[in-house]
This record gives sequence, C-alpha cells and structure tokens, in this order.
Amino acid sequence: MEPVESQTSSETVAAELPSSSTGAFTVTTPAPAPPGRVERRKRPRTWETPPAPVPPPRLDDYKKIVGEADIDELRFLSRELKGKTLKMVNSTAVGGGVAEMLHQLVPLLNEVEVLTHWDVITGGNDFFEITKAFHNALQGSDYRLTQQARDIFLMNNEQNRQRLQFNEEFIVIHDPQPSPLIRARTNSPQHWIWRCHIDLSNPNPEVWGFLRPFIEKYDASIFSSQSFSRQLPIPQYLFYPCIDPLSEKNKELDDAYVQQVCDELGIDRSRPIVTQVSRFDRAKDPVGVILAFKEARKYVDFQLVMAGGGATDDPEGAAVLREVREAAGDDPDIIILDLPPWCALQINALQRASTIIVQKSVKEGFGLTVTEALWKGKPTIAGAVGGIPNQVIHKLTGVLVHSVEGCAYQMRYLLTHPEFAKQLGENGRAHVKENFLMTTNVRRWLLLLRILNGRK
Amino acid sequence: MTTPATIPVQQHAAVKPFYFNTSAHLLRVTPQKATTLVEFLDALRACPEGSIFQHTFRTLQEHHFLREGFSNDFAEWALSACNEPSLAEVLASVDVREFTSVADLREKFVQIVGEFVNRSQGAASRQARETFYFCASDIVVIPTQYVARTLREFAEGLRHVSVHSIQHHFIEARLRIKLMSNDFSQWLLEDLGLAEAARQLNRIDIYTLTLEDVKNQIIRIVERALV
Repeated sequence: MEPVESQTSSETVAAELPSSSTGAFTVTTPAPAPPGRVERRKRPRTWETPPAPVPPPRLDDYKKIVGEADIDELRFLSRELKGKTLKMVNSTAVGGGVAEMLHQLVPLLNEVEVLTHWDVITGGNDFFEITKAFHNALQGSDYRLTQQARDIFLMNNEQNRQRLQFNEEFIVIHDPQPSPLIRARTNSPQHWIWRCHIDLSNPNPEVWGFLRPFIEKYDASIFSSQSFSRQLPIPQYLFYPCIDPLSEKNKELDDAYVQQVCDELGIDRSRPIVTQVSRFDRAKDPVGVILAFKEARKYVDFQLVMAGGGATDDPEGAAVLREVREAAGDDPDIIILDLPPWCALQINALQRASTIIVQKSVKEGFGLTVTEALWKGKPTIAGAVGGIPNQVIHKLTGVLVHSVEGCAYQMRYLLTHPEFAKQLGENGRAHVKENFLMTTNVRRWLLLLRILNGRK
Repeated sequence: MTTPATIPVQQHAAVKPFYFNTSAHLLRVTPQKATTLVEFLDALRACPEGSIFQHTFRTLQEHHFLREGFSNDFAEWALSACNEPSLAEVLASVDVREFTSVADLREKFVQIVGEFVNRSQGAASRQARETFYFCASDIVVIPTQYVARTLREFAEGLRHVSVHSIQHHFIEARLRIKLMSNDFSQWLLEDLGLAEAARQLNRIDIYTLTLEDVKNQIIRIVERALV
C-alpha cells in the first residue's frame, strides 16, 4: 500500500474535503486503526463537477450486448408502426428515474421511426408541492386532501391541457401528476396510456379516489410490478423498469479504472469487499447492513462499503448519514461514501470491484440498484420487498433476506462459497439480460403500441 | 417425403420451406391473486388460459438461463412463499411437453393443488409470505429474415435466430400444432423425411438445459444429419 495520510475522525475528513455549490462528496474512513493493523487510507479524491453528457446510444450499439437477432426482432416489430406518432408527457425533464429513462427511450423509438415527442408539464411551486404530497400519499403516507389542493391540481393540469397539443396517435402520460390531461382526449382514434411508476398497492384512499376516475378513462395502464398495481377496468400491463447497459452506470470498465477508483477511495482490493449502493434513507436499512457486517465479520474478514448520496440536500438523509456513522463507529473496515449524483462512473467501478452487493431494503420501489448489481454479475443479497423478488429469485439469481441475522448469514455464506456465489452472479446477469435491459423496454413499448393499434 | 438416393441430404429441397418466426409477449396483470393455497386453487380454476400459459410455458423463456431449480411459477411460489417443498416438487415435475392444450395443463395443476388442499387444510389456509399475482400475456408473432429450403439453410437459420424463436418453434409450438412434437421436428420429418433427427430433437430435455444450450443441441443434431 502506498504511504498515505492517516485521518483521525470522520468529522475531520468531511471538514478537510473541499465543498462547493455543486456539492462535493465526503468520505468517511473511520480511524484510528486497531493495534496490529495499520489502516492508512489515501486522502480520497473528490469529483466536484458533473461529466459532459454522453450522446444517446443507437440500437446497433446494443448488438454486441444482446445479439444481432434481438435487435433485428425490434426492427421487425416496429415495421407496422413506422410513421406512427407518439407523445410522452411527464413532470420533469431532468432528475429522477422517469426523465432518465425517457432520455434513452425517446431517441430509440424515433430511430425505429415511431415519431416520438416528449413534453413536460409546467406549474407553480404550489402545484408541485401538491403533486409531491400526492406522490407520497399514493405510496401510503398520511395526507388530508383539501378542496384547495384539488383546485390547484386541476387548474394547473387544465393550463397544461390548453398549452400542449395532443394530435398524436398514441399519448403516454407518466405518473399521477399529469393524469387529468386525459380530458384532452377527442373523438379521434387515439390511444391514451397511463404509465404509473410508483407503488399503488396501498394508496391513500382519498387521493386515489380523486385520481381514479381520470385513470379509468385511459385505454391501458402500465405498472412496474404486479404488486404495485390496482384493480382497474382497463388493461394493466407490466413493464419492469430497466437499466441501460451502455450508460455510465452500467457500461463495461477497464480494470485499471476500477483499480484507480478504489485507490482514490482507499478501498483495498486484495480483501473481499461487500457494498451497498443507495441513498442514505431508512428504507434502505443502512444501519442494518452495518450490524450484519459486524456479525458476519466475526467469522470472515472483509470490508464494507456504504456508498450513498442525498445527504447534502435532504435533512432526513443527513440524519440517516449521522446514524450510519454512529453505527460504524471507529471500524476501519467500514467505508462510508456520500457521493454527488454525477458519480455514475465511480459507482459503476465500485460495484465492479465488489465481491458481493447488498441491498437490504425494508421498503423499496423496483430496486434498480439490484438490477445494476445483477447486471455486473455480482452475487447479490437483497431484502424481499417491493420489486426485488422480481429480480432476485432466492438461491437462483441472488439471495433474499428478511432480517439483519439473515443478511449476516448470507454475507458469510457467499464469501466462503465462491462457486455458488459465482453461479448466482452468472444467473443474475442472464436474468437482467433477458428481462431488465433498455432493449427489452423498447420491445415492450413496440409490443404495446402494436397491440393497441390492432384494437382500432 | 421421398427423395432420390443420389442427392445428398443437405441438398434435398423441402416440400415446403421453413419460415423462422419468433414471438414477443407483453405481460398483463389479471384480477386473480392468491395469498393462501386455498385462494390459489380457486384462482387456478378461474384464471384465463393465458395465465396458465404464462406461468408455465412463458416463464420457461423468462428464466431460460437456469439449468436447474426452476420449472414453473406455481412451483416457485409454493416453495418460496408457502414453504411447501413437497407440493413444490410435484408442481415442478409437471412437464409442459406432455400437454398439447392449456385446458389439460390447467386440470393437472388443479388436481395437484386440490389434493394438497384436501390433505393439508391447515397449511393450505396459512398466509403465504408473498401474494401470487396471476398474469397473462398478449402475443405478437414476428417474422424473421430466415427461410430454409434445405437442411443446410435450416442449420444456418438456427445459428442466427434468437432463443425467442427457439421458444416459439420448439416449446410453444405443441399448443398450436396439437402434437407431442415441435415445428422443427415436424418439418424435418414431413418435409425432409429425416425421422431420426426429428426424434432426437424431441428427446432434448428443456428442463435441465438453458435455452441457449437447447439451441446448440438442436444445431448439433441438424449438423450431424448434414454429414
């Protein structure tokens, strides 16, 4: 190991790192090391500015990943749809999984000549505060729906209805915020689709009761998991969320780069690495992961990397990060990283450097960090919640856990049974290749458009 | 079909060309779901045939990369959510190749689960760890660019098509042709007169191989017939 500066406390590390309005990340490498093991870590590198955007991939770029036959099938599937027009409408152009997915999907649909246009609704702060409250309420939070909130919500949707044109043959409305735009439907033979990205399994009845009449007017709905859906009188399709294997977060990396990132973060690749990547949120049970690590390490030597974000702009995230640091104590083998959102490449490297990846969520949406881990062929330990069981088939594509104790046991087991772990990793990657890649998402969209088109 | 003995088999022109197709499926959630084995039995009886097809034939493709431990969604749920390994074992032993109609396949599952529910009423009423959601799929058949008129062209087409096409012609075909066979074997037998190759294809074990392995075995058998 290279000579490096030793650090004495997490607060010092955080204080020494440069900060900027763009939000430098902080790294906590607990110290001092126990006697007998000198733990010296290099001052971690910071990535203060976002990288330049990468141009979107073309379909042919995916051939080397999914094979020529799969891409040919997409082109055949799109033949009957050439020249059809499609409008996507959501509530934000940047940030969040929906916008990220649309940035990738829209160019690919246009490439197969489904003429796709993407519009974003606008509104005042009051509107977006209400939509955020709706979003949380539909996922089970308490909320009292007032007449004022209804009025603001409907008024902003009405303004968007008047501002936007809805002349396309297919209109796709993403999530509840713009759902009343269905009122723009005319007698022309259009197909309106509602794409719900959130978990509606246990919605606030008042908010769902308010929105449901709009949803029922659509021709079809799409959910991300069977368990997120509601009984509706319209068809409910299943589109699992997906990852882009060519994105910064998921593309193949040279091992030299992976080594460089580990060196910069003070991670020792000569010893096993168990990693959880997720924002500092109690739903991800980061403290539970640390407790599992401490239990498992009684029998196996390894490091734990907790790579997250969201602690700089979210008061709850900052509080959770404090709890995580407290739980980690002065253990030099627990490395806590608070990363800014543009560190996709570094996260990719961290995942690839890991021996095992954990996502010990106690509440989860679909769990795309699990998809990312599986795609990298990593044996994955994950909480059996939300959409995770769609991805992790217990003991076949990963292992599911329900407790700290179960998580600790699986860490020990997988670290000491590398052949089994390797098989899980291989199966997991194949599962993602078949079901959760961007190309599969394009296939599902083309299929849905063809099916609806055939119903005219 | 008879062909002159002097023409090598690889050059025999088939009576009808083989058109390689593939199928794409879109998953739908149906109203049926179950949180106990008793509810599961009711839903098995009530669900559309498309659900039985989805959770047996279709799921084989969605999990085609697994060589062991996965047979159908019903068995997987009985094991992982209901913790009933003996029931799961029997459900997993149902081989879709023995059925040429979804109605018969449904009857088989209803019989297995019905017997378990009658035998173990306490266990059958226990809440499962996870709900079973019955899904179904909408299917679109898509042509590919590959057409075979000879055995050599057939081998070439097999090398190029995706595993989705293999699933379509080799596994799901029996529901269309209503025979204990598949499109490939039928073509080899009826249009090229290659009975032995057709028989060998029907002996490939789809439950202990990945679909990619199945494809490679088919290619090997066809290549042997070419020699």
